[in-house]
Amino acid sequence: MEKYFDAKYIWESFPLLIPYIKVTFLVAGLSVLFGTLLGFILAVMKLGNSKIAQKIANGYTTALRCTPSIVLLFLVYYGIPKIAENFGLNLSDVDKIVFIVITFSLQFAAAMSEVIRSAYQSIDRGQFEAAVSVGLSNTQAYRRIIFPQAFVVSLPNFGNSLLELIKEGSLAYTIGLIDVMGKASLIIDGRFNAHAFETYLALSIIYWVISIVIEQFFLKLEKGFSKGKQVIKPT
Amino acid sequence: MSESLNYQFLVKTFFTALSGVPTALIITIVALLIALPLGFLLALTRINRISFLHRFAQVYVSFVRGTPVIVQIFIIYSSVPLVLTSIFKKFQIETNVYDINPIWYAFIVFSLNTTAILIEVFRSALSTVSKGQLEAAYSVGLTNVQAFRRIIIPQTLVVALPNICTATVNLIKATSLGYAMSLQEITLRAKVAANVGYNYVEAYIDIFLVYLILCSLVEFLFKLYEKRLRKYKAANA
Repeated sequence: MEKYFDAKYIWESFPLLIPYIKVTFLVAGLSVLFGTLLGFILAVMKLGNSKIAQKIANGYTTALRCTPSIVLLFLVYYGIPKIAENFGLNLSDVDKIVFIVITFSLQFAAAMSEVIRSAYQSIDRGQFEAAVSVGLSNTQAYRRIIFPQAFVVSLPNFGNSLLELIKEGSLAYTIGLIDVMGKASLIIDGRFNAHAFETYLALSIIYWVISIVIEQFFLKLEKGFSKGKQVIKPT
Repeated sequence: MSESLNYQFLVKTFFTALSGVPTALIITIVALLIALPLGFLLALTRINRISFLHRFAQVYVSFVRGTPVIVQIFIIYSSVPLVLTSIFKKFQIETNVYDINPIWYAFIVFSLNTTAILIEVFRSALSTVSKGQLEAAYSVGLTNVQAFRRIIIPQTLVVALPNICTATVNLIKATSLGYAMSLQEITLRAKVAANVGYNYVEAYIDIFLVYLILCSLVEFLFKLYEKRLRKYKAANA
């Protein structure tokens, strides 16, 4: 009988897995880009005066928060081609990665809309009034005064959402994307399901390191940006 | 294949998906029952900086929060049978490891996972209760246990409740990954039903609806409980 646990397989897995981190990052990067745009629109809807727009944006956030990523992923993967069929489009040639990016953009947008909304609301109304009173136009006031402040407030939450996104992105292997997770299951298949534990250990270490790096990066960033920040200390 | 949605199937499978709800709920409840006290105790070790345990909790939280749940599931699912087989072999117990109900693995994975989340929740909640509260409790003659049970825990719970709610909803959502352990929960049941006629879109719409109802319900219950607990809230918080 073979040994049950063999650390050799952990070391062997690293060089095989590491090149595929860039696929994981590609998915995350594109989802962040589109998700932030959509999240911004949703946040504007939530903050606006239109009751209907508020209801839609809040409903969207609730629905997305209640849906497991895996369900959303399959809903998009099977649902969009089916809807497209009704319009006579054939989407069977579209790369999987498109559906994956759509899924995680939708999900990231829900998180981002809350991040942006709460960051905006944390900025005192007086800041805007002060900016306008010294003669800045509305656009200038937002661009120079409100957005920079809201940006700093949103950094920690943005970092958390990004970590969440990278972790949830691991589910893309279920529809056949070869990112670090997908590669790990290929490696395990190649070893005829033996030493799965060692491969997953290597994979978890990779994810762990990525998370720690991102976490530290955001802590540094936050520190850098809040240097000039003046906080009123409670007496 | 270009027909529209199969509504008959949609309705029928909705109840199939619904029949997976008890499994999801049992896992959630067991995980919470284990994780709530354990998370609270480990949060105390973090706050009081009990040397070894505090370090352990820190690394543990960092690992669980830094890795995807699906990877945690696979780690437990591939390592526990290895450990069990070697134990069984040693004591010559004639049990096949692969006959174990996957729900036991689910209990292990989700308890371990939720504990880590709750450590952080309780740690931040405990830090909002001022030290004076504990001192006041001692000064009127309460014992340590009494002080915690009557003064500290109710106040902590008020602050922690919204985060516990989020953790619970995330836990329910995460049980959808139980299909990776061939666990008979909502997602797997609906998927198996869909395999017959390739009605995947309908099946996933059903799963989506079931989760939407389930999570809204949980959020609603937490809101109710939060209202009841509000009397413990410090007035000048």
